[in-house]
Amino acid sequence: MKLFLEKIRYYSAHIVITLICINDSIFINTWIAPGPIINIKYVLVFYFSFFEKDRLSVTFLFILGLIFDSLQGMPFGLTPICFIVLNKIAIFLKKRRTHSNFQNEFIAFATSLLVTQIISVIILNYFSQNSFEYFLLAINIIITLIFYPIIRQILKIFYFH
Amino acid sequence: MIQNKLARSSTPGVAALQRTISKKFLLPSYIIISFLFLISEKSDFRAIRFIKALINDGITYSIYIVNAPVNLILGAGSTAKQYFNFNIVLENKKLKDEIDQLVSEKKELLFYKNENENLKKVLNIKNKDAYTAVYTKIIHEDTNEFAKNLIITIGSNENIQLGQAVVRNNVYLGKISEVNLLSSKVMVVTDINSRVPVVIPSKGVNAILKGNGLGGAQLLFLPQNVALENNDQIYTSGSDGSIKEGLYIGKISTDNKKDPKNRRYSVDLGFKEHQLNYVSVLKITRQ
Repeated sequence: MKLFLEKIRYYSAHIVITLICINDSIFINTWIAPGPIINIKYVLVFYFSFFEKDRLSVTFLFILGLIFDSLQGMPFGLTPICFIVLNKIAIFLKKRRTHSNFQNEFIAFATSLLVTQIISVIILNYFSQNSFEYFLLAINIIITLIFYPIIRQILKIFYFH
Repeated sequence: MIQNKLARSSTPGVAALQRTISKKFLLPSYIIISFLFLISEKSDFRAIRFIKALINDGITYSIYIVNAPVNLILGAGSTAKQYFNFNIVLENKKLKDEIDQLVSEKKELLFYKNENENLKKVLNIKNKDAYTAVYTKIIHEDTNEFAKNLIITIGSNENIQLGQAVVRNNVYLGKISEVNLLSSKVMVVTDINSRVPVVIPSKGVNAILKGNGLGGAQLLFLPQNVALENNDQIYTSGSDGSIKEGLYIGKISTDNKKDPKNRRYSVDLGFKEHQLNYVSVLKITRQ
């Protein structure tokens, strides 16, 4: 029974990330702010990669990214690359820093998010005909950074006390 | 320790596969597959488009099933609200009055329509394109920092084509941006890539309506010195040839500054996002 509960707790992260990814706008943008403001999927991927590198497998991130691209009408392959890059940067930065505190964690998140968004912009410029606004992207990054400590605190209640 | 055990699959077949394919091999192969997908975006091969349509349909309908309980919980609030609506008798009476009024207006409209047809015949004016509406359900809606999409349950099986207008109660919502076999994607008018030619009949002004990506839209290419007023209505102009003329989009909202040059305009759209269930796709039938 205990092992079963542990299993549920372990895979609940995967379920939460999947549900948030497929219902991004319904959960977040309707209730908290209008439009695509908070990039909660990147916060979740970073958080779980940073604190437990083996929890989210590359296969899971790849499939989830493809599902997200399909639903959002993005070029196929964009989000898998972004998720995998975010995951790898988070793991790399965690390894590099021996002294772990919130400041280091926040800087690591900001760096990972910035690199991921730069990659997505480059990919969109090369492989998509759709335009986007840098201003909107900047707002997205800033608001995601502002909300990171809050989401992190909520996640800390359930995972990695 | 437990988590490490869980990281490995307990299913014998999957575990064997995991052993065979080393983790070092997985990462580059996923990156390569992703880039192949991206490169295929630029190609126009029919086979690739067909495979993508299949993947899209598979994902869309799987997500619809997975999301069913979530939607049930989200919709429970509004359903409960409907049951506990104690003003239902008053609302019913009000709606009946409204229906009576609409029926009389419809009769009047029919008279003008016939008159219009007769005058066209006399003046030998050709009829414009006719449209047929296909009713469909929205099974998913999503927003991210780059796009705002709806997914509907009809695709090439119903002869849906790119660029066709999507409406609800004659209010323009967006246009078809991707067609799969059993589903299609709709680019909503608030998407930053959305551009719609519009007309403001009360002022005789044409403009382009551009989505701002934040749930709203703005007017571009307005003539200089034009002074729009609050509640001026915006309709599709149909000048792009694919979107029907005269579909209601929304109304103007201004800050009412006296000098028209300094006046700022925003658009109150005729629909509310996240509250859409069913829509119609307008298919063009050339005459």
